[in-house]
Amino acid sequence: MAQNILRQAAEAQFAQEIEEIKKQDKHTRPENWLLSPHAVVTYLMGGKLGNGFDVSPKYIGNRRLMEIAVATLTTDRALLLYGLPGTAKSWVSEHISAAISGDSGLVIQGTAGTGEDSVRYGWNYAQLLSAGPVPEAIVETPVMRGMKEGKIVRVEELTRIGSDVQDSLITILSEKMLPIPELNTKVMAVRGFNMIATANNRDKGVNDLSSALKRRFNTVILPVPETIEEEVEIVQQRVASFSKSIDLPVEKPILEEINRIVTVFRELRNGVSTDGKTKLKSPSGTLSTAEAISVMNSGLSLAYHFGDASLKADDLASGLIGAIIKDPVQDKIVFQEYMETVLKQRDGWKDIYRACREII
Amino acid sequence: MSVHLLGIRHHGPGSSRHVLNALSEIQPDVVLIEGPPEGEAMLSWATHADMQPPVALLGYVPDNPQQAVFYPFTLHSPEWNAILYALRNQVPVRFIDMPLAHGFAIEWQETASNIDTSEFTEQVRKNPISYLAEIAEFDDPEEWWEHRFEIVQQPYEVFEAIAESMTALRQALPERNDRRGGDRRGSDRRGSDRREEIREAFMRKSIRIAQKEGFERIAVVCGAWHVPALMHLPKQKEDDLLLKNLPKTKVESTWIPWTNDRMAFESGYGAGVESPGWYMHHWQHPDDHGTLWLSHTAHVFRANHVDISSAHIIEAVRLAGALAGLRGLSRPGLKELNEATVAVMCMGEPLLMKVIYRELIVGKAFGQIPEGTPQVPLQRNLEALAKRFRIKIIPEQKTLKLDLREENDLQKSILLHRLQLLDINWGTMEAVSGKGTFKEEWTLRWYPELTINLLEKAPWGNTVDEAAAKYLENKAKKCARLDEITPLVQTAIPADLPTALGAVMRKMDELAATTSDISMLMDAFTPLAQVSRYGNVRRTDRESIDLIMTTIFYRIIAGLPAGCTGIDDEQAAEMTQKIREVNQAIQMLEKQELTEAWTTTLRTIFHSDRTAPFIQGYSCKALYDSRLLEMDSTFNAFAKALSPNNEPSASANWLEGFLNDAATVLILDDVIWDVVNDWLQSLDDATFLQVVPLLRRTFANFSNVEKRKIAGRARQGKSGTSSPQTIDIDPQRAAQVLPILELLMGIK
Repeated sequence: MAQNILRQAAEAQFAQEIEEIKKQDKHTRPENWLLSPHAVVTYLMGGKLGNGFDVSPKYIGNRRLMEIAVATLTTDRALLLYGLPGTAKSWVSEHISAAISGDSGLVIQGTAGTGEDSVRYGWNYAQLLSAGPVPEAIVETPVMRGMKEGKIVRVEELTRIGSDVQDSLITILSEKMLPIPELNTKVMAVRGFNMIATANNRDKGVNDLSSALKRRFNTVILPVPETIEEEVEIVQQRVASFSKSIDLPVEKPILEEINRIVTVFRELRNGVSTDGKTKLKSPSGTLSTAEAISVMNSGLSLAYHFGDASLKADDLASGLIGAIIKDPVQDKIVFQEYMETVLKQRDGWKDIYRACREII
Repeated sequence: MSVHLLGIRHHGPGSSRHVLNALSEIQPDVVLIEGPPEGEAMLSWATHADMQPPVALLGYVPDNPQQAVFYPFTLHSPEWNAILYALRNQVPVRFIDMPLAHGFAIEWQETASNIDTSEFTEQVRKNPISYLAEIAEFDDPEEWWEHRFEIVQQPYEVFEAIAESMTALRQALPERNDRRGGDRRGSDRRGSDRREEIREAFMRKSIRIAQKEGFERIAVVCGAWHVPALMHLPKQKEDDLLLKNLPKTKVESTWIPWTNDRMAFESGYGAGVESPGWYMHHWQHPDDHGTLWLSHTAHVFRANHVDISSAHIIEAVRLAGALAGLRGLSRPGLKELNEATVAVMCMGEPLLMKVIYRELIVGKAFGQIPEGTPQVPLQRNLEALAKRFRIKIIPEQKTLKLDLREENDLQKSILLHRLQLLDINWGTMEAVSGKGTFKEEWTLRWYPELTINLLEKAPWGNTVDEAAAKYLENKAKKCARLDEITPLVQTAIPADLPTALGAVMRKMDELAATTSDISMLMDAFTPLAQVSRYGNVRRTDRESIDLIMTTIFYRIIAGLPAGCTGIDDEQAAEMTQKIREVNQAIQMLEKQELTEAWTTTLRTIFHSDRTAPFIQGYSCKALYDSRLLEMDSTFNAFAKALSPNNEPSASANWLEGFLNDAATVLILDDVIWDVVNDWLQSLDDATFLQVVPLLRRTFANFSNVEKRKIAGRARQGKSGTSSPQTIDIDPQRAAQVLPILELLMGIK
């Protein structure tokens, strides 16, 4: 694949790792799986292989959650990853399908406008008009392809899809079969087919799953990182891979800055300062780890393109404020309070306080 | 001659199975078990048909039952199974731990501070097997135990392996001690270390005795931790030296019912289990791969209105199986089953697991002991009473509604009150909604610890009745002040203890005579008045109460006017509160003699110039309320008290006393309104400015609504001038509305 691709798919980016794990994999593989369940968990959580090869961790957090997720896919239930925005749901789903099927590209992005023809199958109308309903006139969806090839299909933001469209998944998930009444035929799923859906539980106005559909999913809730160390590690790893992929030379060790950003996010999210002494208001945004990562990334870009290539508080401030202040009135008050009561008082944090002060 | 050491994990079902297998292979002629020798006499009860674990062997010091220790046993406890095995096969069984007689008598010092108390040491000591399981990356020690040792065919080999690992662990421990504690061992050792040494010496001693008696095959069932210490018997002299001159105390023991949620309780062995319900399931259904457990889970969910279908169970079983496979386990453990339950049945939400934890994982089982088990007489009496009233002494929460007009319910209430008096808080009284003093609502819940309270009260008598009476008398005797004994009266009356109440009353009279504190007397008076007025529901002996009440009343009257002089503002407010309570009590009693005497006193207080102004204000109001003061006199008193020549603070206090909590009166009572209104209008500007702060102080206490209403009324001016009655009404026109009104209100 061409080198100038902005972001490689997981199976391409980690092709070597998957290959090495496959070589070492001694456990039995379910049919049409690239790796054994055990090896999939190893791929996700990282570790050293028998031959000394280092597998990088993709998910930093509770191993048991990944075990439940992978074990679910070996049963005939589909997997629903549930959680706040930015808790690595899509990230995990991408990597699991990459490790199991070697293909993370069978994705349906759920929106309010997702129709049944993007879940089941659509028609090539030119063909349909000229030749009538023939198999060639059918436009396959990722679901249909996944069923035919025995691969994992991903549905992003399942709860944004309208309820009637959601329910068209029921037959597919329980009977593993997709009827095409127009042709009086059906597509039967090949072993290895399953589905990973993601949904977030923060947004309002989404379509809750019907209980019939709920029953087809095992649910794993992905939590926000438990400790600050865990969160810093996640941000650090993702920022490093970002700067590598867009060729940003990072001069100064940025761990310290990551620590500060994560601390700010955690304090605001938890509504209390790290030392437990100051009670804080929480802003309306979720302040997820993913947002902390993007604050760091935009800070790095700013520093590289407009600054002297070393990360400074000024570079981070605008991103920080953009992530925190989602509601221009309420959140601004919240953040100003935070600046005055926490940032200003903290030793060595004067630069970030001043940088924020300038923008607000 | 052979000694077989069977190291176990307390309450472990896996251990139980191994012990039973080992015992049937060894065919021992004596079984020695880690337990208090004092309990040996009680062992024969174990095979009784009515004995239902979980039960606990309770050892206590009769003179001080708070010094007590429990040895809980449940169906899957290895010790329990060893006991049953021995009794059923007519093999002598002995308890070989340190006698409790010493355990209670020796004061163990836990003071040394520089000794290693790291988590490592603590955990290894408390639960060595769980420590080993953790090294092997298992979450459930039982699971590890099963996985590690089940494959071994010879059960006895399991115990050899366990002995070896414990030896290794124990050898690792002192090294750590040395590194931190330096070379100052010996004298600096912790009490628990010494305790352990002595315990193990006792165990060795018992083994030696059994050997000397000529037993051929000796089986020893003890915590795995102790195995290495029993493997090689040192010279008898060393142990004897350790056991020489140990202090002793008297100990008794009995069986008591135990509960699953207290299996985790660390007592006796110092080790508990967190999931007794799961272990019980494990013990009863060793072959269950999750199907049965998850079906139980589904039933519990359904009983709690969570819809779970059979398909859910099937999926959960599959997921648990897949998880176990992924983790390389031969079958799912509790963790896998719980995770499958959360993912499949709870939509990933662990909150719902709480109910499973309570009802299944811990379980609600509670034990039962056979009738006739040696008990202290008081305990037996309580059980007989409970049986007679058909209330079960069980550790479950239950609500009991009593109607005291029914003889049976009255007796129940009396029993519960007596127990409360004895500090055995089996029942707690709830506030009852609705009127009437004949209803009581109790929440009953028995805790195993209450047995200790019961034992503690055993010396007071052989029946609840007797013990409560004697305990109360003794308590009354110790009272030195009137306010100490007043609450006793309140608890004694519903407990229906006439003789003890007599004693309490006599003491009360005595104390009342010597007390000069009026407020204490008033405190004592109010509850007595209440009993005298409403006591007939309980048929308490009223005469003696009335007598004491009356004497106390006259004592109050005699001292009250003087008691209202020369006190500061705060005391005056307090005193007023008490006078108000007595005033209410007197009105409630409706006894002419008392009422007259009381109003005379109030007048005296009112007219005395030396009375604290706050009280004076209140007494003025109280007299007016009882229609004993004319409007004119009230007005005069008001004007006099608030005249500008008075000390401003005195006026303010007077007004506060008069209007305290009386905003409604001011709004609704025309007379009072006029008094205040007239007085205010009679003031000239200069005086008005002077009294404004005083008024503000009083009115500040009223609520906003009250203030608004008062302001609204003030706008109308003097009462009667613009009241609704004076509105011009055309009777004929008004009459036309009446039929419709009647229809609306359903009068016809």
